Amino acid sequence: MEETPFKASDKSSGRHDSVKSSSKSDIRNLWSTATLSQPKLNSRLTSVYEDSELESSSIDSKTGQWYNQKTSHDSDGVWEECNDGIDKVCTKQEEPDRHDGPRSSLRRHLEGDEDFPGTKMEISSSMSSLSILKRTPHQAYWVEQQNRLPLPLMELMENEALEILTKALRSYRSGLGKDHILTKQLQRYIERLKGRRNKRQHRSLD
Amino acid sequence: MKLKKGSFLWYLYLDKLYCLLSVRNVKALLEYFKLLDVHHNSTLNGRQFPKCFLWVVTWVLVINLDLRLVADVLFYHFLRHVTNWKRRQITRVFNMLDWDAVGEIGFDQFYMLVCILLAQQNHLEQQFIFRHSRPVFELLGELRVGQENFHMYNFLFNIKESELREFYRDFDITGDCRLNYKEFKLFTIVTMEKYQEKQKAENEKALLKMKTFYEVNENPIQNHLGINVSEIII
Repeated sequence: MEETPFKASDKSSGRHDSVKSSSKSDIRNLWSTATLSQPKLNSRLTSVYEDSELESSSIDSKTGQWYNQKTSHDSDGVWEECNDGIDKVCTKQEEPDRHDGPRSSLRRHLEGDEDFPGTKMEISSSMSSLSILKRTPHQAYWVEQQNRLPLPLMELMENEALEILTKALRSYRSGLGKDHILTKQLQRYIERLKGRRNKRQHRSLD
Repeated sequence: MKLKKGSFLWYLYLDKLYCLLSVRNVKALLEYFKLLDVHHNSTLNGRQFPKCFLWVVTWVLVINLDLRLVADVLFYHFLRHVTNWKRRQITRVFNMLDWDAVGEIGFDQFYMLVCILLAQQNHLEQQFIFRHSRPVFELLGELRVGQENFHMYNFLFNIKESELREFYRDFDITGDCRLNYKEFKLFTIVTMEKYQEKQKAENEKALLKMKTFYEVNENPIQNHLGINVSEIII
């Protein structure tokens, strides 16, 4: 904590250049650069998590859609959008894939040596509107999200916090008394947490 | 110390080289901290003050007294839930982290604690002390660290008694039985080197063991199956 943050900041400043220069870089670096460019960086984790459920279910269909578009050789629409000036970089990124064909890019994706920014560009180029491009999170982020962290993270945290707080409430009651303002505050807080959890469970059942 | 399996902290990943959490992990940890921050004061066991000025004096007197009674209740229950530490150890950690003696633990201190817990869980104590020598030094003592301080927090950093004695004999250059930061830094460097040598020796030992195993059983698969592969080919 003494020396490393400075080193980290140095690294992060030079990261943009390294990403540009080398197409194959660490997945975590890619995630962090992608996150920096996202407009909703300060959004709450709960909202990110809730979004993740929706997006992860739809991402397969999106990629499938993209793949179908490519295989049907109906590339005119896609390339027209790219040339409309929305993103000039996407045409440059798409050039090698145009020659290799979709099968090679799919193979690279399965083998795991795929260039993620390139993929993002490919997916975004297939999307028909700029708003989708803005709202769709980085694919590397979702890959990491699904592989490393347990998805029901918020539930896990809330359940654990509830267990800890229930024990604390017992101590508050014995130490301060039932009618003390701090005890009441803690009790209200626990009830609110329980209500939120029940609501979520009810929603997931529906 | 063992972290409770399946608890939230158990899922966090501490970088082995820098002994730090990733940004995403810190963000998740902050959410977790907010959940435990019952009194919404960005602390565990935060203080509450009324808005009405007339009540302030009496309120502060009463509430401070109460908060001392439940000073480390949330902190205690949190650590009791995620670790197997005893009450005495938890109180020591609370006193150590509450360096400005306000009876509260903020997110900075909480983050530090989680990093220490994860370092201990992953047997990276030496690496942690080396990487974060300044904060650790400030946690152990203000300007000079006595042997008794090290002894008190030994369960956190897993330093052996013999090593500690040796270390004070070799590094206490000023001879006042207390270490200043420069002496402490020297200690961390030497400990780190020893740790790396130990790791290297262990790796070599494992490699040698594997090598001898293959030399004894020239073809372990063939011996296991009891078939001569060359005969099958013929």
